[in-house]
Amino acid sequence: MESFFVRYRNLLVLLAVLLAQIIGLAMQVRHTDSGRNALDSRDTAGVRLIRLWANELVTPPEQFFHATKLGAIGLWQSYIDLRHVREQNQDLQKAMDRIRLEQASLLEDAKQGQRLQALMDFQEKYAYKTLAAQAIGSSGSDHSRIFYINKGQNYGLQPDMAVISADGIVGKVREVYPRSAQVLAINDQTSGAGVILETTRTRGILRGNANGQPQIEGILADQRIQPGERVLTAGGDQIFPRGLPVGVVEKVVRDPDRDAFIDVIIKPAAHLNQLDEVLVITSIQPRFPADQLQDMATSESEKGAEAAAIQVQKKESEIRAERLPGLNNPNAPAANPAATTAPGQAGKPGQAPAAPAAVTPAPAPHLLPTQHIDRFTPTPKVKPQKDQDSSAPAGKATKPATKPEVKPHQPAIPRETF
Amino acid sequence: MDVLGTNYRRNLGIRHYPLLVYALVPLVALVLQAWLPRVLGGYAWFDLPLVVTVYFALVRRNPIHGTLLGAGLGIFEDALTQHAIGVNGVAKTVVGFLAGSVGVRIDVEDHTIRLILTFLLSLLSSAIYVFIFRILLGLDEQWSWLAELLRAVGNSLIAMVLFPLLDRTQIKD
Repeated sequence: MESFFVRYRNLLVLLAVLLAQIIGLAMQVRHTDSGRNALDSRDTAGVRLIRLWANELVTPPEQFFHATKLGAIGLWQSYIDLRHVREQNQDLQKAMDRIRLEQASLLEDAKQGQRLQALMDFQEKYAYKTLAAQAIGSSGSDHSRIFYINKGQNYGLQPDMAVISADGIVGKVREVYPRSAQVLAINDQTSGAGVILETTRTRGILRGNANGQPQIEGILADQRIQPGERVLTAGGDQIFPRGLPVGVVEKVVRDPDRDAFIDVIIKPAAHLNQLDEVLVITSIQPRFPADQLQDMATSESEKGAEAAAIQVQKKESEIRAERLPGLNNPNAPAANPAATTAPGQAGKPGQAPAAPAAVTPAPAPHLLPTQHIDRFTPTPKVKPQKDQDSSAPAGKATKPATKPEVKPHQPAIPRETF
Repeated sequence: MDVLGTNYRRNLGIRHYPLLVYALVPLVALVLQAWLPRVLGGYAWFDLPLVVTVYFALVRRNPIHGTLLGAGLGIFEDALTQHAIGVNGVAKTVVGFLAGSVGVRIDVEDHTIRLILTFLLSLLSSAIYVFIFRILLGLDEQWSWLAELLRAVGNSLIAMVLFPLLDRTQIKD
């Protein structure tokens, strides 16, 4: 037996290592209701631990490399800047004299510039609460469009926070570690972002393809979708706020699996392959500056005071209406309560809106009995006895009396009346 | 030219390296593999951990060493992605084992053979990766064989430069 293990030692070690990994793989994949297999969206504790170890091992050297790169770039730029500094100094002295003369005329422009800058600052502050971070590393694989940023739990990052750049959306936070975070870029095949085409208003889900290009899959063929059309976030995924730029349509290709559908290849607005700095949206609630919040509170309070003043006015008008001598007999019974309701009371806040009041018909004029019937005497067309019933509503009773139907060229009086 | 014969196999010597090289080279490979794609953009057609696995498995001429090194580096690579841990691990385990087994039988001092081996093992690694991802796990992922071919070429070019450099760090008797 010993010779067996010694003889096949290499193969046995290989099989053992492979078996362990395959069992581990099987534990990470689950069968979905749609009949397909999928990876768990959230890592198990063991898997997360391995990822944490790997991250802790790689992140410090990556940050060192990143800092070294920035330092080297800064050093080189400083060297470039220092060249010809003496000549530049003399030029600057001359320029300064000239600038002093121009200073007075430029003062006004400067003030205008400050005002514009203040407007821009306002616009920036109105945006969502963000946190700047630097991209320090990647997954190192074409099959995984993951990159790492140098901010993590220490800065309050959480999974599923949107990551954007100045140009457009970048991805979302997938895993958060103490000092770093894993970001899933929008061109990864497992990513997903709700987007909308700006002109055609076609909605779809954005995900990456094998070439690392983001694309919208499974859209019904539409001739209106043309290259160059802007793509924005739709806002329905609860990750990206609505209206952020995603990119432009690069080309439209037919879905290889389904004839009636197309895939829209997107040229991303953000430079996904060469990101240095990104912004993590830490809160999708709009952030207002303090002075603007004060303005809003003032506006709300003024709005409340105005409503209260209107109520007081209504109440006063009601009291005045009650005190004024009315034409109606106060002792008469109210035939239609809705009609007698004061106009001010109908729309009181907090009450259900009153049903539209029926138009109170004018009292039917009492007609004297006709002494001499002639052709101009108003008579009902059919069944005059029943229609003239006194128990009928006044409105209905007056109708035939006031508007007799007279056929032209025919006597309106029935034959039997003669 | 008795590269496959038993006499040659008997005469093979196993190389030894300082412990620091064993520890640092794989770590640097992993860090660079994670960092360089950020710098190079979409042109990072290489797999440094695979190249390191092939090198140490070949020169150590020990399949178990190649297996364990490949498994470790592969799992580490998987840990940096969002994919299941073990896909790269299995692929590099097989590559390490094969490289270690081949190293016993052929002349690994020859640069051309190393280059060809690196190229072929890179393609094999990609094939195993696809097999695990699509067949074994049944996951849906698009694939570009052109990218895999370019990666194999990139690995060979890196091997052409890196292997002679690492050869210099070996401990000579």
